[in-house]
Amino acid sequence: MLEQSPSDKQGNNTCELSFSNGVYSLGTIKKAAYRFTDRCCFDFRVTEDGATLAVLSFSPDVTPDEKAALQTEFRNEVLDQDLREVIGAETAGVRNAVLAYAFSQTGLQGGDAV
Amino acid sequence: MRFRPREDFEHSLESGYRLLPFNFTALNKHEYVATNQAGQYVIVDRATLEDLVRHKLHYRSDAYSSFKSAHFLIDADSDVALDLLALKVRTKNERYANFTGLHIFVASLRCEHACPYCQVSRQSDDRVAFDMSRETADRALGMVFRSPSPAIKIEFQGGEPLLNFALIQYVVERAAALNVSQNRALQFVIATNLAVITDDMLDYCKAKDIYISTSLDGPADLHNRNRPRPGGDSYERTIAGINKVRNILGRDKVSALMTTTQGSLTRVKDIIDEYVRSGFDRIFLRALSPYGFAIKTKSYQAYDVQRWLEFYFEGLEYILQLNRDGLPFAESYAGILLSKMLTPLESGFVDLRSPAGIGIGAIVYNYDGDVYASDEGRMLAEMGDRTFRLGSVHANTWEELMTSDALLDPLETSFADSAPMCSDCAFQPFCGSDPVFHHATQGDFVGHKPTSAFCRRNMAIIRHLMELLRSDDATRRILMNWIAF
Amino acid sequence: MLTLGGESLRFESILDDCAFVTRLSDNKRLPMPLRSSAGFLVKGRSSRALPEGFRVYIFVEDESGAEEPTEGIPTVLLPKDYSYLGDGDIIRIAPHRRGVRVLYRRNARTNGILLTERCNHYCLMCSQPPKDVNDSWIVNQVLEMIPLIDQDAPELVLTGGEPTLLEDDFLRILNACKSWLPRTAIHILSNGRRFADAAFTQRYADVQHPDLMVGIPLYSDLSTNHDYVVQANDAFDETIRGILNLKRLGQRVEIRVVIHKQTYQRLPQLAEFIARNLLFVDHVALMGLEITGFTRFNLSDLWIDPVEYKDELWQAVSHLSSHKMNVSVYNHQLCVLDPRAWEFAKKSISDWKNEYFAECDGCVVRDHCGGFFSSAHLRYSDHIRAIVA
Repeated sequence: MLEQSPSDKQGNNTCELSFSNGVYSLGTIKKAAYRFTDRCCFDFRVTEDGATLAVLSFSPDVTPDEKAALQTEFRNEVLDQDLREVIGAETAGVRNAVLAYAFSQTGLQGGDAV
Repeated sequence: MRFRPREDFEHSLESGYRLLPFNFTALNKHEYVATNQAGQYVIVDRATLEDLVRHKLHYRSDAYSSFKSAHFLIDADSDVALDLLALKVRTKNERYANFTGLHIFVASLRCEHACPYCQVSRQSDDRVAFDMSRETADRALGMVFRSPSPAIKIEFQGGEPLLNFALIQYVVERAAALNVSQNRALQFVIATNLAVITDDMLDYCKAKDIYISTSLDGPADLHNRNRPRPGGDSYERTIAGINKVRNILGRDKVSALMTTTQGSLTRVKDIIDEYVRSGFDRIFLRALSPYGFAIKTKSYQAYDVQRWLEFYFEGLEYILQLNRDGLPFAESYAGILLSKMLTPLESGFVDLRSPAGIGIGAIVYNYDGDVYASDEGRMLAEMGDRTFRLGSVHANTWEELMTSDALLDPLETSFADSAPMCSDCAFQPFCGSDPVFHHATQGDFVGHKPTSAFCRRNMAIIRHLMELLRSDDATRRILMNWIAF
Repeated sequence: MLTLGGESLRFESILDDCAFVTRLSDNKRLPMPLRSSAGFLVKGRSSRALPEGFRVYIFVEDESGAEEPTEGIPTVLLPKDYSYLGDGDIIRIAPHRRGVRVLYRRNARTNGILLTERCNHYCLMCSQPPKDVNDSWIVNQVLEMIPLIDQDAPELVLTGGEPTLLEDDFLRILNACKSWLPRTAIHILSNGRRFADAAFTQRYADVQHPDLMVGIPLYSDLSTNHDYVVQANDAFDETIRGILNLKRLGQRVEIRVVIHKQTYQRLPQLAEFIARNLLFVDHVALMGLEITGFTRFNLSDLWIDPVEYKDELWQAVSHLSSHKMNVSVYNHQLCVLDPRAWEFAKKSISDWKNEYFAECDGCVVRDHCGGFFSSAHLRYSDHIRAIVA
């Protein structure tokens, strides 16, 4: 579980979460954000020092505890998305090979006819 | 004699491992489910997952063994994992070559019931306006046998299809005649409320080995409130009809489906008891579909997914208890999911597939010859939304229908592997895409999964089943009996 | 335990220098044309005159003594250990060593036929330790024997060593079985690796035998564990490829697992692996250890009291059976099994080496229980007890 970074800002119905640019790709952050769009709105900005800023907007009836929990969940989801990106990059080739075999007439390795 | 020690066989493991493709999703607060392309899954905590991905697992660890065995990683010692993984994925997808196994004929829109949740049906005696003609039936049958599927099921629906029984007989006979040269495994089902079934009709069904599917919403008060008809005796007629069918056609020739309404939500045990009393060995605890009169009469908005899940889980636990007490009884939706989670076998269920089951799983020939990608697509059309109308048997060829934009666009757009959230989701091999549902409730074929009732429902049920499967051996054995092997 | 062969037996007037195979008959009115290849069987003393014209006469001693050979008549005399012999049994007579080997018994529940002692594995628990010799003479003997076997023999088990090492001769033997014994089920025990070659598998399938099954061992869900147990690198991969090729061509396959200290721990995971990847195999046999051959040498690495893996065994059986796979438990006594596994336990030990011990006296399920290997007296469970209720 991550704690909030010092550059996070809390507003009334918004808060800003900062992500180091060299660490998390924008795609990772956006994919993570998508999962929370039932509970808050997102906007994104890039700061002067190159960090990505995610701005979360909550509806007025969201309690401070719920806001804190959402931010923690969101940060963890960014970590998860990052992990998925690593997996995806390493396994893309095999993934496609397996799918190609699944819909083909020939063997996967060595060309044995099925 | 010289025997090599175990270490001698582990040398190649020292060069490390490669990942095989997989997705992961949270199971609960502390654990994740990791799933590969074949739908095989491993439950693991986050730290171990991270170690796996960062290549930190040691080959003697239990985690390494679990992942290697389940085909999440591969090492220099063995590469048959690729053959096996590819074979499993291939088996899971084999059915696509044999598309459209279910052909629905809407024999008549006329019906003497007036169920508030009904999507179609006309209370009318106008046969010409609302009955399928022989000409339409002939053209539809021409389409049926164009499908490459070796097993074909023709299902008669309506309204109340028995009100046009002559047409049913015509289709059954014509189909059998056409099948002489086609040699498909041909099966017939009539979906009927049984209120107007006669002994002659039953004798005919027996002679032609036709199955009956009927509606049973629960005990008398619930069923009759849901399904009003003149005389208010839908339940009594249904039960009488079920017994007649069993007597004349056979014990296993009749199945029942329930529809869930606001009134059902607090009565799940009563509903299940009704099925037990009526001699069924399974029940399909369905969600309310958001189509037709259901939306008009606001019955869909009457409850949310959470409330329905409580209903479902209460029913599921009650059914498990029945099993523990010695009565084999299954919940069908769980059975379908379990089959996808634990085997590569395919059930006939068309509503949980990706690519979606519209058109390629099931297709609908309406009484007037219009062709729809699914029964729900037909229902939407009755409400004025003809998005899923593919064409007409009177105006289009089979090729035109099956390659129409009306079919291909939603199939392609809704494909789970390309959809946001679905493409990352560990439950994707067990789930499906439902472009008709998402179009009706959210306005596009893909939908917005974070707010999708379909997504929320399936994720909750899959997680729950995973917990049940690992809870104890007896529960696991009960659940596995629900898989149709 | 039956004595199935021996040497330095009493031979009289046997003039052949090569070994030969003969089918026994106790029918003194056997038609003359058939006698020249058959062996006439006499147990104990016979007061009647011997029928003439048989190739050889086999006199077996019993309580009343044994028949005395007649001068000039080729005769083999066998001690009481061979009193089980009967009409229709087939024996091999090896004159240079005065040896006899019983190859086929009509009354046996099942008959095993060794095709070769050569093997490309070296399993820690091998009950027929491999010999790297040219034993191709066995093929000829088997081909000679097959036409002599009863046509209504229910089953033959072809074993080794590794039968597929015989290549073309292996297929010749299968074809001979099909030709001479079309109603006899053939069960082949093989490590399956040769079938990783699709072309060989096709030739096997082309035999089109009406009732053929290959029993293939798989000892782990992990390649390193399996390879260690069979003492051969790449065994796991080739064996699985072999299984896949066989099933692609619609051939029947059984998976066999010998349970011991090196294989019991991951038995549930192996069951899961089989259910996920090899759901289409026709049968899975979970087997107890036989204390013979290499097992005796490796006993400390292999022996575990079956009671200690009772849970793992039940979990494996439960997993496979709930996937609706055919599964059997072989070579385990009922009292060491979880009772839920009893319905899967079969009486599997070949009758000639099947025994019960003193602890079994009074056991109410003894008739359903497979009992022990004769070799088990060397080591068996500390928890054998008669079940009385």
